[in-house]
Amino acid sequence: MIEDVKQVLAMHRLMVQSRVLDEACCEESAHWFPSQGEEAVPVGTFYGLRPDDVCAPAYRGAPIVYLMRGMTLEQVWAGALGKRTSFGRGRHFSFTAPIELRVFPYIAGDLGPIISQATGAAFAQRYRKSDAVTAVSFGDGTSNRGDFHEAVNLGAAWRLPIVYVIQNNHWAISMPIEKATAAKRLADRAAGYGIPGVAVDGNDVLAVHTAVQEAVRRARAGHGPTLIEAETFRMRGHIAADTASYRAPEEVEEWRGRDPIQRLEARLADAGVLSAEDAQAVWAEAAQEVGEAKAAAQRHPDILPTDLGLDEMFATPLREA
Amino acid sequence: MPGKRMTFVEALVEGIREEMRRDPNVFVLGQDIGPFGGSLRSTLGLWEEFGPARIFDTPISESAAAGVCLGAALEGLRPILDISFGEFLASAMPQIVLHAPVVHWLTLGKARVPLTIRTKVGEGPYGGHPQCFEAWFTHVPGLKVVMPSTPADAKGLMKAAIRDDDPVLFFEHMYLYHGVRDVVPDGEHLVPIGRAEVKRPGKDVTVAATAWMVHRALQAAHQFAAEGIEVEVLDLRTLAPLDTATLLASVRKTGRLVVAHEAWKIGGLGAEVAATVAEQAFGSLRAPIVRVGAPHTPVPAHPTIRRAFLPDAQGIADAVHAVMKYAA
Ligand SMILES: Cc1ncc(C[n+]2csc(CCOP(=O)(O)OP(=O)(O)O)c2C)c(N)n1
Repeated sequence: MIEDVKQVLAMHRLMVQSRVLDEACCEESAHWFPSQGEEAVPVGTFYGLRPDDVCAPAYRGAPIVYLMRGMTLEQVWAGALGKRTSFGRGRHFSFTAPIELRVFPYIAGDLGPIISQATGAAFAQRYRKSDAVTAVSFGDGTSNRGDFHEAVNLGAAWRLPIVYVIQNNHWAISMPIEKATAAKRLADRAAGYGIPGVAVDGNDVLAVHTAVQEAVRRARAGHGPTLIEAETFRMRGHIAADTASYRAPEEVEEWRGRDPIQRLEARLADAGVLSAEDAQAVWAEAAQEVGEAKAAAQRHPDILPTDLGLDEMFATPLREA
Repeated sequence: MPGKRMTFVEALVEGIREEMRRDPNVFVLGQDIGPFGGSLRSTLGLWEEFGPARIFDTPISESAAAGVCLGAALEGLRPILDISFGEFLASAMPQIVLHAPVVHWLTLGKARVPLTIRTKVGEGPYGGHPQCFEAWFTHVPGLKVVMPSTPADAKGLMKAAIRDDDPVLFFEHMYLYHGVRDVVPDGEHLVPIGRAEVKRPGKDVTVAATAWMVHRALQAAHQFAAEGIEVEVLDLRTLAPLDTATLLASVRKTGRLVVAHEAWKIGGLGAEVAATVAEQAFGSLRAPIVRVGAPHTPVPAHPTIRRAFLPDAQGIADAVHAVMKYAA
């Protein structure tokens, strides 16, 4: 049932780290976008990609993907704390990441354009005749934007090496997905683009990972994109400060019973791979690492008024007359 | 200088062709740019030479096309996005104004966006899609915006745009496309982005103009010469960032300024040019600044009202007369 124990334990550890970091960031900032309960989607999607593959994770829960790509916890904290060492030196939100890690950053605050940009990364991979692929994830709400339609249609028409993953957490701020579309399953939209659409349990990290890896194989082999809908749930408000009073508490409670980390731990315990004590040790280690990284980042220098970068707009300077 | 006579669009295509031969990372993406040869022949001959590995016909998806080019640029390629007509830029605004211009600054220079977006605007022989929206883009930090008026500048600026590591928006005026034929220097002819050019020197009044209005200003200047009024015609060429040094030097010499563009006068580039001069060369002005631009209606279709709408040489002449009324 569990084929590669090392991999699964690594994914478990990442999910725990993501949860612990996210809770700490929510305490730090009322404007943090909580990802608790959704960890299986970013971890399952982006785990196991090659260094030359391009990752464009959904903003919610993205920091764990940055860590998977080689960013350190301390660097993530530098962003969350708004330190001078953060990516972009305070020029943009903390949840973007260094592009040199082949992670596409959130360039601006509008949702959707990154789906086309990721499609452009896949275009470049094809142009260079490399067998690298691109994986992009985004929310259910974002999948209603025209960007989604144009990008997926183009990626499909050109059979580009890309995997599109909808992180369906049921809510877009206060808009439930049932009211945002008449489609029963978002994966069904794939039929309109002539590509495979796969709906998976987004709270089962192995199911997500298996589906994405199958899509990655297809993409690498030149068979074009796959659209994957990973169904999960946004356990907290849109931002840390949002009490989400617009939805029924029963709905949240129902999903609490499907917590992706608890489910994985139960499964690993059944398989005799991870005991309760082992799991406890993973949580304790994550808490310690996250705490230490935060303390270290707090000592980083603060952003200066001169960091505005007035003279840094252009890569090619204008020649003086 | 040795050169060949060619039309504006032939010069544009030659610039692209030379850069594509020079750098395998340069490619063109757009609608009907392959075997069809581009709207108004904007890519004629490129498909025959470079084929489907470098020339990409897209579906009608301006927004995705722009995003794909931006993503490809982030991956180190040098895309040329052919947006058939300027009006369709509106469909790709998020990529063009929110994303592409920010990247270099946001990543502390670690990422660059060597992206050229070319598009057609203005009055032309077919009359379609004439609206001139270039001022929208001059408001955005991080974009370079060019708008040449001659075949030589069309080629030289196109080559400079493709080699530039920042997003460049390239406005091609449709009347000039097949309507202007002139000598284009052979070989490595590059026109620097960010530099205006004095097209005709004069001491009495500066007319700062763009694209087709440069030709109309030259026409007006020719007539004024007979009256003993020396008009200096300045072709702005790069709309953002403006070449304020050349602009201010000209106005400091003449003491009078007329700004002329085919786009709407209200909120147009002329407002920025006038404000720059008022702020930095007020003491040199001998007369109020006059702007020549379109009235505030959409561009009408029928030729009779189209003529009433379009700013013309007469409009420039009236403006020159108005500022010349202020003696000394
Ligand atoms: C184009 C655009 N419209 C609206 C917003 C405001 N906004 C920010 S997050 C959000 C909800 C997004 O929902 P979804 O894509 O499902 O992702 P989730 O927040 O659920 O992770 C909205 C509407 C935005 N950032 N960009």
